[in-house]
Amino acid sequence: MNAIEVQDLRKAFKIQKNREGLKGAFADLFKRQYQEVIAVKDITFAIPQGEICGYIGENGAGKSTTIKMLTGILVPTSGHLKVGGYVPYEERERFVQNIGVVFGQRSQLWWDIGVIESFQLLRKVYRVPEQDFKKRLDELVERLKLQDLLNRPVRKLSLGQRMRCELVAALLHNPSILFLDEPTIGLDIMVKSEIRDFLKDMNREHGTTILLTTHDLQDIEALCSRVIMLDDGRIIYDGGLEELKQRWGTGREVLFQFGRATKLETLRQWTEGLAVTWSAENELNAKVWIPLELNVSDVLGRVVGQADITDIKIIETNTDEIVRSIYQSGSANKPEEAAGSFMAETTEAPHV
Amino acid sequence: MSKRLSFTPSSPRPPRPEGRNSRHSGKRLLLGAYLDFIRIRFLTMLAYRINYYTGILIYTLNIGVNYFTWKAIYGEGDSLGGFTAVQMTTYVAVSWMARAFYFNNLDREISTDIRDGSIAIQFIRPYNYVFAKMMQGLGEGMFRFLLFMIPGMAIAMLLFPVQLPTAPSAWAGFLVMLVFSFLINSQINVITGLSAFFIENNEGVMRMKRVIVDLFSGLIVPISLFPGWLSKVLEVLPFQAITYLPGSVFTGRVQGVGIWNVLGIQVFWFAALIIPMILLYRAARQRLFVQGG
Amino acid sequence: MTRMFYYLGLIVEYFKNYMKTRLTYRADFWVEVISDLLFQATNFIFILVVFMHTDSLGGWSQNEVIFVYGFFMVPYAVFSCFVNMWNFSERYIVKGEMDRVLTRPAHHLFQIFLENIDPPALIGGVVGIVIMVISGGQLGLPFEWWTIPALIILTLCAVAIYTGIYTALTSLSFYSDAPTGILPLMFNIQNYGRYPVTIYNRTIQILLTWVIPFAFVGIYPAALFLQREEMTSMALLTPVMGAIFLGIGLLAWNMGVKRYKGAGS
Repeated sequence: MNAIEVQDLRKAFKIQKNREGLKGAFADLFKRQYQEVIAVKDITFAIPQGEICGYIGENGAGKSTTIKMLTGILVPTSGHLKVGGYVPYEERERFVQNIGVVFGQRSQLWWDIGVIESFQLLRKVYRVPEQDFKKRLDELVERLKLQDLLNRPVRKLSLGQRMRCELVAALLHNPSILFLDEPTIGLDIMVKSEIRDFLKDMNREHGTTILLTTHDLQDIEALCSRVIMLDDGRIIYDGGLEELKQRWGTGREVLFQFGRATKLETLRQWTEGLAVTWSAENELNAKVWIPLELNVSDVLGRVVGQADITDIKIIETNTDEIVRSIYQSGSANKPEEAAGSFMAETTEAPHV
Repeated sequence: MSKRLSFTPSSPRPPRPEGRNSRHSGKRLLLGAYLDFIRIRFLTMLAYRINYYTGILIYTLNIGVNYFTWKAIYGEGDSLGGFTAVQMTTYVAVSWMARAFYFNNLDREISTDIRDGSIAIQFIRPYNYVFAKMMQGLGEGMFRFLLFMIPGMAIAMLLFPVQLPTAPSAWAGFLVMLVFSFLINSQINVITGLSAFFIENNEGVMRMKRVIVDLFSGLIVPISLFPGWLSKVLEVLPFQAITYLPGSVFTGRVQGVGIWNVLGIQVFWFAALIIPMILLYRAARQRLFVQGG
Repeated sequence: MTRMFYYLGLIVEYFKNYMKTRLTYRADFWVEVISDLLFQATNFIFILVVFMHTDSLGGWSQNEVIFVYGFFMVPYAVFSCFVNMWNFSERYIVKGEMDRVLTRPAHHLFQIFLENIDPPALIGGVVGIVIMVISGGQLGLPFEWWTIPALIILTLCAVAIYTGIYTALTSLSFYSDAPTGILPLMFNIQNYGRYPVTIYNRTIQILLTWVIPFAFVGIYPAALFLQREEMTSMALLTPVMGAIFLGIGLLAWNMGVKRYKGAGS
């Protein structure tokens, strides 16, 4: 059974145009001009129950608009959608009982009082029976290690602590579908991986369907079996992550820090014969770009033996770069085998 | 999809010719920046048209209600606290209209800037924060002056027996005093707003200020109608300079040399209020930069 | 029925959270109470100053006008406690908290009321009752069996009128996100409902009676207790006006939300 079903979903906004200058402003006082912008252009997809799906794309691609339609905040202009068996905008109050929503940038907790008070309030709002609530809260608190934080006011929590509390708040009523909008934004690596592990366990144990938007490819890598990529309101890719990376990841970058001055020429010499590109800020810091077809370990092997290395950092392509490289060729299919229909759609409204 | 973005008027001005008079261009640019604050606020106000339409109606209604209330108070009598009925009508109308010009929410804006921390960014910009705020207030005032006050006054004259002054000195005096009303009221607002640096939640202070300014400036009751002891107290406070004094000039209760005297009182308060404003501003900067907010 | 209990339960819960928040900022609580009372005091000063210069305002004595003022404070206090939408546009539209409200399973307007409750406002209502008792005593008003029930019913109806008017006006935020807005201007006008409307001309009387019916939150219902027969029929009309204006407010609100869901922000 599908948790989310979307067919030909479209959302158009009317946007006010402000005419220029004083004269324009006076003219606007009496007659407004509007401009129509289509944020989501007839997209279709289905997410089966229990799947974790990443929803990615640049800012303004239509991600938030889609999420808002799926959570019942916005009413679509046309098309069909069904989430957890409900049409979100028709039976809002009943529908939202089944979903959990976390907007990474906005809090749903009371700022000045202990976190537990917010949870108590949400228990009432979602009509969770006392016993279920206790059991669930204990479980979540245990799992996310929040024991010491429960009585602390939200304003005194770090971002990572707050985000874990936000997750609890969204999950107290045991929703079957969870929507996460940038859940790891601004968090440090430790907290990020903690949250990822938690979400994976949630998904495994309770079969919770999760749809998340993110800019962090590692979120996707750790969590998602599937990726839907959006550009200019259209789905340009829908499928597995590995495939996407293989086709579109352009390469990786390795940063070196040396203990002793190492010349750029020397580095180039060591990696002679490999199609890599070196650059250096100074003699102690250098970076190398490695295309996908090469193994990182091959390159490292050549350098590690000979240089005095104090630090190494490997940087993976992030989703934004992948997306950008897809835009540049105009289709998510490999350039050489681009299907006609895809081409037709993307060229119709070229991304600028 | 931020619809709101379209509300913030982007700078639609043609690029300025640069290079000429480069010696003065620093100062000139700064002055231009301040003028831009006026212009942008003016345009922003224009963008909110629902406010505009209802604003005119509501100001007219305010004048009407006050007019009839005073008419009922006068009853058969023809003089109250030195005001004739016609003078009172004129006073009520012109006071509300003057309020349209001098009123602004600078206190609220400043304390919001302080609470959400955005004041730190504004403090390091290459202009004076308080002065820039005052300019924005002036843009708002000019908007209301042109689009509320003048049409509103015309409507009030049609409906109620408002008597415009005939003496050119009354007009000139009133217009100059109106500028000082704006300055003094804005200074009080800035002081109230900056107090948010030192009082955790200055919402209550702002509300009290608003009530006090409306009552003690003579907007609701002309100061000469208060009991003797209270009007004595109010005469040594700055609030009367906001409404009561310009209103007295407009209604012709103060004439000739008297105009210079009341203008002198306004100038005095304008100068006197600069001192706490600067002290508070300095203390605020100190607090922001030394203690980090 | 269960729905009613659900919402009553929520009121209690939000009230508890309010108190917990306030206990962390105790000073603010008192600053707010004092500034509220000061605000009321200035209005009171106006009445006193007016009656220094005249014996009657359109045929109403000082004590009668003060009694009306006392009554006026009671529904206003209840309204201020439960309906606080002064910063709706900024908090819910500009900062986007409306989205969160829409993902919760309770009525959106009700959630917003509850998130902004302001219990200190109720103290003004207590002061209003004291003023009514004192001025009523001086006027020698009779205390009947129906006085208290009528007071409660009329208060609730006046609260419904306030709520309807301000909800309808707040709904405009869904169309235009004006930051300052009409609400403060309206705030001035509501004060005119506590003076005898008969002193105004016909247009303003009609306006304050039928269009923005603030006469029904002050002078008309209070006239019932003052045994002013010329206004008794208007006083009895208060529940009807309450129902109509609450209905208009809810309708406007629902239309606004519908638009929000269509346009987002």
